Amino acid sequence: MPAMSVSEKFKKVFLDDKYSVGQERVALRNVGLIDPENIYDYIYNARGYQALAEVLTDMKPEDVVEAVKKSGLRGRGGAGFPTGMKWEFTAKEKSLEKYVVCNADEGDPGAFMDRSAIEGDPHSILEGMLIGGYAVGAQKGIVYIRAEYPLAVERLEKAFCAARKEGFLGENILGSDFSFDVEIRLGAGAFVCGEETALINSIEGKRGMPRPRPPFPASNGVFGKPTLVNNVETWANIGAIFLDGADSFAALGTEKSKGTKVFALAGKINNTGLFEVPMGTTLKEIVYEIGGGIPNGKKLKSVQTGGPSGGCLTEKFLETKIDYESLAAAGSIMGSGGMIVIDEDSCMVNIAKYFLEFTKSESCGKCVPCREGTTRIYETLTRITEGQGEEGDIEKLELLGEIIKKSSLCGLGQSAPNPLLSSIKNFRKEYEEHIYLKRCRAKVCEKLVDYVINDNCVGCGACRRVCPATAIDGTVKAKHYIYSAKCIKCARCFKTCKFNAVVKETGLPE
Amino acid sequence: MSTPKEVLSQKKLKAKEELSAAGFFKPLKIYVGSATCENAAGAKEIMKIFETQAGKKDCRDFYLSKKGCVGRCNLEPTVEVYEEGKKTVLYVKVNEKEAEKIIDKHIKVGK
Amino acid sequence: MIKVYINDKPYDVVEGITIMQAAAMAGYKIPSLCYHPRLSIYGGCRVCIVEVEGVKNFAASCSYPIKDGMKIRTNTEAVRKARKEIVELILDNHPQDCNICKRNGICELQNLAREVGVEERMFAGERKRYDKDDASPCVENNQEKCVLCGRCVRMCAEIQKIRAIDFVNRGIKTRVSPAFDMSFKDSVCSCCGQCITVCPTAALTEKDYIKETFEVLNDKSKIKVAQIAPSVRAAIGEFFGLKPGKNWEKETAASLKKLGFDYVFDTQFSADLTIVEEASEFLDRLKGNGALPMITSCSSAWMKAMEQFYSDLIPNVSTCRSPMSMLSSIIKTYFAKKINVDPKNIASVAFMCCVAKKYEAAREELLIDGMRTTDYSLTTRELGRMLKSSGINLPDIKGEEFDSPLGQSSGAATIFGVTGGVMEAALRTAYELATGKTLIDIEMTQARGFEGVKEGKIDVDGTEVRFAVVHGLGNAAKILDVVRKDKNKYHFIEIMACPGGCIGGGGQPYTAVNGQTFDINLLKLRAQALYDSDKSKIIRKSHENPDIKKLYDEFLGTPLGEKAHKLLHTHYKPHFPKGI
Repeated sequence: MPAMSVSEKFKKVFLDDKYSVGQERVALRNVGLIDPENIYDYIYNARGYQALAEVLTDMKPEDVVEAVKKSGLRGRGGAGFPTGMKWEFTAKEKSLEKYVVCNADEGDPGAFMDRSAIEGDPHSILEGMLIGGYAVGAQKGIVYIRAEYPLAVERLEKAFCAARKEGFLGENILGSDFSFDVEIRLGAGAFVCGEETALINSIEGKRGMPRPRPPFPASNGVFGKPTLVNNVETWANIGAIFLDGADSFAALGTEKSKGTKVFALAGKINNTGLFEVPMGTTLKEIVYEIGGGIPNGKKLKSVQTGGPSGGCLTEKFLETKIDYESLAAAGSIMGSGGMIVIDEDSCMVNIAKYFLEFTKSESCGKCVPCREGTTRIYETLTRITEGQGEEGDIEKLELLGEIIKKSSLCGLGQSAPNPLLSSIKNFRKEYEEHIYLKRCRAKVCEKLVDYVINDNCVGCGACRRVCPATAIDGTVKAKHYIYSAKCIKCARCFKTCKFNAVVKETGLPE
Repeated sequence: MSTPKEVLSQKKLKAKEELSAAGFFKPLKIYVGSATCENAAGAKEIMKIFETQAGKKDCRDFYLSKKGCVGRCNLEPTVEVYEEGKKTVLYVKVNEKEAEKIIDKHIKVGK
Repeated sequence: MIKVYINDKPYDVVEGITIMQAAAMAGYKIPSLCYHPRLSIYGGCRVCIVEVEGVKNFAASCSYPIKDGMKIRTNTEAVRKARKEIVELILDNHPQDCNICKRNGICELQNLAREVGVEERMFAGERKRYDKDDASPCVENNQEKCVLCGRCVRMCAEIQKIRAIDFVNRGIKTRVSPAFDMSFKDSVCSCCGQCITVCPTAALTEKDYIKETFEVLNDKSKIKVAQIAPSVRAAIGEFFGLKPGKNWEKETAASLKKLGFDYVFDTQFSADLTIVEEASEFLDRLKGNGALPMITSCSSAWMKAMEQFYSDLIPNVSTCRSPMSMLSSIIKTYFAKKINVDPKNIASVAFMCCVAKKYEAAREELLIDGMRTTDYSLTTRELGRMLKSSGINLPDIKGEEFDSPLGQSSGAATIFGVTGGVMEAALRTAYELATGKTLIDIEMTQARGFEGVKEGKIDVDGTEVRFAVVHGLGNAAKILDVVRKDKNKYHFIEIMACPGGCIGGGGQPYTAVNGQTFDINLLKLRAQALYDSDKSKIIRKSHENPDIKKLYDEFLGTPLGEKAHKLLHTHYKPHFPKGI
């Protein structure tokens, strides 16, 4: 049965909804349709472990690797490295001991694609890892999952127990010569441990700092043994490739990016949530069809993709077919699939600052460019958003961003400047307004607007009482007035007024 | 020596038996979305309400199960009611009051 | 052999090396900071970056392995600019007080900044502020100056295997500290000072007593007595920019006189004393009066580590004090009497290549009648700074002899500073004391050399005496695990906490800023200086030192006798700092 039928089943439930029409459920084929805590549901209703059985019966490990290569699957964790190639490198290594690792340390703020996949269909991840272990010659699997996902951990543990009981895990799986078992390792609250070498260090009990690559985990991984590290979503796709064939998988997507991708849509959008679409779906379809458009009739300003490692796309890119190459060409990355929709009421400088605050606090501290550079960028952006931007700041930020990108040790540092650099590239005028005119067009940066009282004012005097600079004057029941020369722009009046009488003005032309 | 495929076919038969014993093949099935996001929105309480309904005299027999999240974050918690021969219905933003309404209208009577 | 292209020129190089090593063969010295030839590859500073064709971002040359046909560019405009900016980022989070810093002029960060050509401060922002940890008698930790190169962490973990320090926190708040934020004083730090020798800045330094020593030198009411260790003389020349390999014995003695010391004695004298006591103790144990194997006790960092981690082996450790402490005891008793001065008015200052001797000088177990025998212990580096600030240019000084009666020493004492030297000296004496025969093969090559663990045996009148020599606390751990399982494998073990023995001590002159690499060749040169001195001496066995004989005759009585026990021996007890 082709994968379409699973998606069709899904669409039947959401029939008329534009939300589901564009979706193709491959990695999430069973999520929302079966009971994740019932292995029999998986076996009977979702062709559970059929892919594994077929692989163990009919295929040699080399054939499995070839099939994954043919499918064109690329790593779904963000880097997009051809999965088949990674499997081939690991399989080639001569070692009696090898490991297979599932990277479930989903660290992007607001990303929950992996969590959803694990909580909704834990057996598909396990099945993928079993097939992977068979293909590369590993006997041990490790799921490294962030401790902040207790339900996902619980469902995984239940799934592993049930699988062991039914003979899908452990010695002589399904009566074959293949033995494999798996253990769970919890993360400890570090985004950097999603980077594969830092993850491996964490598994080994060391401080979660990345190692220089080369050598790659395929030859030198957990405890020095060849290790295959793949993301949860990548593993979830493996079963589908073997159930319906590599060609069926490769039929979806674009020329260089095959298959589907799970995205998490958030921000100023009507339909927030998760969806899985074939690669090559346009941004326009995602925002306006699946996402249902922007609420309150606001204008689209930007779509930020890839989480704190990604860049901001503008409406110029609405016709862009989303895949690894096109996003990179647009100055962003696919990342793990986060998509944040930004409307005209958001400040791009503030957004860059928000992302840099995250990467700065998550930097492991090993390498100079990331550790020192992200802090300096954050300091500069803070100055700019507080009205202390100086001439030359933008050029300094661009320069610093480039150094960090090119010199950092690991992907965290190499991609940390992306939100900054792409927002400068696409919204330079906003930065210039912040620095030279000391104004925030989106009225987000509190110190870069004027506070004015309009006719909604009933003269209650609440703002006058709360103003720490005695900058507000007025008599009871009469319209009050803010003296801009005295105003320290603390925004307390704005937050206190119950009549929407205090408004932010920029004085900027449209 | 059976091949893995053959072993799996045996397992499928066993799975069918287990599911049948648990009531999976009843004509009326109710799925409550139970991922972390749905639990945070109150799915656990909804589940309890359906659990207490099961077996009650004036209520039709149904199979109750969890399911994963379908991705409609702004519409959680979700409850899916599947009835053989009829269109599947997905209830969204189900709070405790709504759950009671579903039971009264849909489960008991069949609308 | 494979071919790589460096800056467009082809080079034939061996396989399996890194870009940095290949470039070095081609004559390029790529700037670096966290890379250290004795430690594992870290790849953290990103200063050594180069361009590799086909690789998107810059590659760290210290870790990136070469491949056949690789095209490398080490000094394009982009690379040089990036290196400059990375060093500038480091400097931006570093104090600006070079002029008043201990490492002014001998700082690897200063050299690096000059090398890459930093000229402007572009990214200046907040600088980190931490309190200095100077509670320990040996090591000071000033985290404001730390560049987080990780060398100290790797040295303590990989070579010394003590693991007293590691990175704490993450990101911009990362610092190097013992566990649970404790002070160095409370931690399992053995005070070996190896971390100090690899630190490129003044983040980790020894607690210095230069000020106190100058005060003492100006104190007219005190008789100022100095003693110097052999390894100091083998390395002090490097501090003045000279090549290693010369033993500046007489020049150092003269320089100390010029500093203002009334008497300058030789720790080699008391090394002979230690040998007489220790050889006697060993022979006593061989007869059955004590635990075997016997383990030497002159290395103070080893003593601290022993009390912390190997206290079950306390019965095996020799009760002899170290040469420094033995001499200090004799100074404040025998010598005080001889010059008719109240020992309270004698200031005994020791110049050692060792950082842990500062800890040893403060040990309660070494007090004599409630009085500290060594008042201050200073390192070779501190001596160098004292000489420089006093305008005493060591290389130009005319040498003088050490003072009597504690200045004469044998060749066996001279080689104390090299790994295996104590064993060789002890066996030279033990053999003759036990058999009454003259030892002909004086130079015991089995004990010499720089492998981590050396084994050997000699025949003492029919009895086979098996010995082992280790240097570096990491190697000590190896041999002690063996000893715990099998107490009969060896009779006598020499343990030096520092790699190379005392010549590689934590207090020796910084090597990188003197253009030296701290590798086996440097150790060999320093060692050769001492071995040559041994060869040049007429008296080469400790018990033949006439001044030693005199000391026993006039004052001590017999080796291991009552007086010897009180002044020259000590005891140990288990010590468990937090964390054990």
